[in-house]
Amino acid sequence: MARRYDSRTTIFSPEGRLYQIEYAMEAISHAGTVLGVLAKDGVVLAAEKKVTGKLLDLSSVKEGGYGGSGEKIFLLNRNVIAGVAGFSADANSLINYSRQSAQRHLFSYNEDIPVEQLVQRLCDLKQGYTQYGGAFIPLCVTSSLHMATGLRPFGVSLLYAGYDPHYQFQLYHSDPSGNYSGWKATCIGANNGTAQSLLKQEYKEDISVEDAIDLVIRVMSKTMDSTTLSSEKLEFATLKLDETTRQPVAKIYRPADVDALLAKQGIGKKDGDVEMK
Amino acid sequence: MECSFALTGKGYVLIAADMTSARSIVKMKHDEDKVKPLGPHLLMTYSGEPGDTVQFAEYVERNLRLYQIRNHSVLRPHSAASWIRRTLADSLRSRSPYSVNLLVGGYDVSEHEPHLYWIDYLGTMATVPFAAHGYGSYFALSLLDRYHNPSASLEEGIETLKRCIDEVQKRLIIGLGKFKVRVVDKDGVREIEI
Amino acid sequence: MELNGGSVVAMVGKNCVAIASDLRLGNQALTVATNFEKVFPVTDRIYLGLPGLATDVATLRERFRYRVNMYTIKEEREIEPETFAHLVSSTLYEKRFGPYFIEPVVAGLTSPERGSKPFIAATDLIGCLNFAKDFVVCGTASSKLFGVAEGLWEPDLEPDELFETISQTLLNAVDRDAFSGWGAIVHVITPEKVVTRTLKGRMD
Repeated sequence: MARRYDSRTTIFSPEGRLYQIEYAMEAISHAGTVLGVLAKDGVVLAAEKKVTGKLLDLSSVKEGGYGGSGEKIFLLNRNVIAGVAGFSADANSLINYSRQSAQRHLFSYNEDIPVEQLVQRLCDLKQGYTQYGGAFIPLCVTSSLHMATGLRPFGVSLLYAGYDPHYQFQLYHSDPSGNYSGWKATCIGANNGTAQSLLKQEYKEDISVEDAIDLVIRVMSKTMDSTTLSSEKLEFATLKLDETTRQPVAKIYRPADVDALLAKQGIGKKDGDVEMK
Repeated sequence: MECSFALTGKGYVLIAADMTSARSIVKMKHDEDKVKPLGPHLLMTYSGEPGDTVQFAEYVERNLRLYQIRNHSVLRPHSAASWIRRTLADSLRSRSPYSVNLLVGGYDVSEHEPHLYWIDYLGTMATVPFAAHGYGSYFALSLLDRYHNPSASLEEGIETLKRCIDEVQKRLIIGLGKFKVRVVDKDGVREIEI
Repeated sequence: MELNGGSVVAMVGKNCVAIASDLRLGNQALTVATNFEKVFPVTDRIYLGLPGLATDVATLRERFRYRVNMYTIKEEREIEPETFAHLVSSTLYEKRFGPYFIEPVVAGLTSPERGSKPFIAATDLIGCLNFAKDFVVCGTASSKLFGVAEGLWEPDLEPDELFETISQTLLNAVDRDAFSGWGAIVHVITPEKVVTRTLKGRMD
């Protein structure tokens, strides 16, 4: 009965493992790559889009909405953006939860939520699904613990790029078990091992945003399956400080901006040119 | 008859409150401390309904401490004051509202600025260079309009504060006894004898 | 209303709107602060004035910021002034039998896709909307504001003329009101930009 310890998220196997969590992580390691690099004056995120195709209606994506949230990179709050790897449907619910958390903090304290606190909020939720199988959100003290047994954990890992006055720019990673950690440069999703060893080789302390963008694109072009990078497969975002107001500004690149950036870096496809340069 | 003052200066906030605890016409205590340090760089005076005052001040103190323990970071003065204001505003429309008036002064370590907030029991908050609660405000605010200088040194600030206290002792029909004075600046919170 | 004092006025011009408030925060007759703004930005081209009980000014400002931020981030576009006015109305009516003591004023321009048309509206303290084509007034000086605005306002004012009109209206009205005054802040919203100016009035 190999399935005896598989079916529920909240039960240890005799070897002391939580299979459902491991399966969730496995699922993520096949998802589109998300890469983040922390620079001294900003943070850079890039994500690979897997869902493409001729018949997919991209009309709304091409236009680029307000704030520019795409398929894989989202604005969580004025000072935090996140790239997700894993199940998009699960991710959407986490994104909504984190946006609400951030606004609730702003409402209570009149300040943008510190980045680590936002990550913690989300990890508390994710951890819940690995233990008692459901969200216990302590919003209402009088309600009894909601004991709906969750069927599976969130199949999502996230990279968070954020800024707060306490620790300036930060980059975090969280996984389905609710673990999180801070990074200078990291990668999740498909080929994350290759990407991470590349980052380890090439990352320099005191890297600038410009160099970080360059590094991210170089690593992405090596880890992605396709030979040509374009806005069809790639999402891109930066978080910097506004020069005059000293407030964080998140920029999620619109498809046209991504293509322009790739062209500038000499990696994008040119008209009628299918091969990578 | 309770009375509290506060004023900002160059890199500091001075906060003072009388030390009497009275019930009806009887002075019950003359050494009551109504200035509470809420954190390494945050001070608060409280006055109002006896009972509510201490209860609310300790509630705030413990909650801010809890935030500090949970998040390994201290709320900045503006955030702490905003939270206190919200707590009072929510309380106002609850079944048993707190009846407490506060002056919250703090030094923001990340932007190196002193901040002062006037908060009343309704949850009204104002960011001000100087403030007063109680009958003393009728005397002190006009004095502070005349003498307050936002870039005054600590010695000059104390002089101005003394003027306010002396005026209240002189003109208010009841003497208020001693005043507790504390200051918060880049080095934290400390008491000042005047 | 008379506890803290304060007044707000909004006016329509030619392809522009203006909204202004005084700066006094009082505790009955005692002035506590002279830097208390009652007009807040909602989006790049919508401003909200909240004259009334100061604790509710802050609370409502924070509630609307929450709602509008969530709207913007989920809808991926900025809220229209008319939509926002209805949000204001329903938020106030939620507390029909224990209201916020605020009479909000909304002033803004519709989005460029909708022609950047001027929009102003005001509600009472339980959210009854009043869409106006000329001007709206609220707060402790509202009776005086009505009189002065009636005399000074005319249709199709250019942004700088509108600034002059709204400033004169507010400053002269609050001079006759003990609960408002201590200078004013004026925002003139045009399709290109928002111009914000702080005015000194009679400081007594």
